[in-house]
Amino acid sequence: MRFFDSHVHMVSRTTDDYQRMAAAGVTAIIEPSFWQGQPRTEVGTFKDYFNSLIGFERFRASQFGIKHYCTIGLNPKEANNEKLAEAVLELMPLYICKEGVVGIGEIGFDDQTKAEEKYLIKQAELALEADLPIQIHTPHRDKKKGTIRTMDVLEDVGIDPSKVIIDHNNEETVKEVLDRGYWSAFTIYPHTKLGNERMVELMLEYGAEQIVVDSAADWGISDPLAVPKTAALMKDRGISLEKIEQVTYHNPLAAYGQSGQVSEADWAGSEGIDPTALFEGNTLLRGGMDVETAMSQYLIE
Amino acid sequence: MREKILNLLSENASPDAVAWLRETISSQEAAFEKRPFYYAFSGVSRHFDKAGRLPADADEVFGGWDQYRLARVALLLLLAPQGKEVFVETFHAILNTADLREQVALFSALPWLPHPEDIREAAVDGLRSNIVDIYDSIALDNAFPARHFSDDAWNQMVLKAIFITRPLHRIVGIADRKNQRLAEAISDLAHERWAAGRTITPEAWQNCEGFINERLAHDITRISESEIPDDRAAAALVTSTDRSGKLENLRDSLVAELSHIQSGALTWKSLGQSMEEKLVRKSLT
Repeated sequence: MRFFDSHVHMVSRTTDDYQRMAAAGVTAIIEPSFWQGQPRTEVGTFKDYFNSLIGFERFRASQFGIKHYCTIGLNPKEANNEKLAEAVLELMPLYICKEGVVGIGEIGFDDQTKAEEKYLIKQAELALEADLPIQIHTPHRDKKKGTIRTMDVLEDVGIDPSKVIIDHNNEETVKEVLDRGYWSAFTIYPHTKLGNERMVELMLEYGAEQIVVDSAADWGISDPLAVPKTAALMKDRGISLEKIEQVTYHNPLAAYGQSGQVSEADWAGSEGIDPTALFEGNTLLRGGMDVETAMSQYLIE
Repeated sequence: MREKILNLLSENASPDAVAWLRETISSQEAAFEKRPFYYAFSGVSRHFDKAGRLPADADEVFGGWDQYRLARVALLLLLAPQGKEVFVETFHAILNTADLREQVALFSALPWLPHPEDIREAAVDGLRSNIVDIYDSIALDNAFPARHFSDDAWNQMVLKAIFITRPLHRIVGIADRKNQRLAEAISDLAHERWAAGRTITPEAWQNCEGFINERLAHDITRISESEIPDDRAAAALVTSTDRSGKLENLRDSLVAELSHIQSGALTWKSLGQSMEEKLVRKSLT
């Protein structure tokens, strides 16, 4: 099987992760622009970060036969530094129409401040201008209210819900997100977000329409194999292969494919890429063994 | 120049893409604005074919270029009439945020852009890249370095071309920018290579023409005795133009090569081309 992980922060991951992802069938990934774990103090660091997303990280992924795309945006945490936020907003038009940029993201609310709302609106307007999908980060605290408020704000700007992927949903937010016509993404992230058994339950209740599963693996304790592991668990629990493929591959492709910057044709012909070809000998062997070990315990709690 | 590019694209790219490009150019010409220009420059990838390129024989300058590169160069020509400040600022803004293919387009456009003194450093810096496509877009088939580089920058570029085995015959102006320091640096490099039991490209010796001293005469003598035919061809080419008198004694052993030079069959260009073809054939097999 092949997978499309539409949310993973590879700049924080190692080449071991890339090897294991490729071996587990992860064919394409989207790397959203996000917070780097500590606040940035200069706009220049954003520029270099965006440059790495369209440059070196894309190249690094290609070394493992993985197609790498990104979304460009100012995350809500750093939107609260208004002077910096203005400068980043000035910078974004240089990036958003580039090859392989599949959306504006990840944007949304963190503390749900006025400043966060201001830059959510401004970036939604940029998405309209460039005709790009939007990738939404929903807040950890006061999530339900923050999610609803995000949708209200986007609709006020005139954004079409079918061009928005709302991420980090849970049992409390999913119904309204789907009812209002948005793509509903679920992040399988140990401890703080959603374990994959809960994901299986959600699938049993809501089906596969408009549902996306991703890993959001980053610099924290997270799992770059979350998507293939969740697929394995779904299969184990009797969910049809067709539905599994829909939420782990076809739906994210359809949602972000609206950018015109990603399509199956990009990796046609590279199907069945053999990571052995790249890493001759023992390095590969180790990657392969890691996958087997990792995948044998595919429960994420 | 722009019409020529647009015509070449018309013959080879999708009509919708070319219509978009023409429309963008005429609206930006009427009233230039940075943000729409940024969108257009990067947005070329939204309209043209990712893998589309001109046939190699489509044009003397642009033959073999891909569609993104051509379309972006056509857009960059819009910057020339915008005044120095807008030009320099916009050029650096897009260069500093460019992806690989955008960088190639920017550097390819250098010979047709104004204010060379303000973009020269960007070109010198671009040559420090480890990405061959970027290096090539500046060093090969590009008239900018010969016209605007200092000797130091020029020499670095040529030495790096030798290091990373790029075809020297495609460096525009290589016959005119030779200098003593470069000739000596090439001798030093050759001695390093020989000490390590390795070779140096025969094309390198063109840079030593006109600067033959005792040491270089010794080097040319050495390659005239090489088992590699291209080395002997290079030795003959240097000997044929030598006025120092230090290479006279090589003429007897290079009779065949010198007669090919006399007939016009052997030149630095022909030597470089045949070496490049051999390299391509080798990489294909």
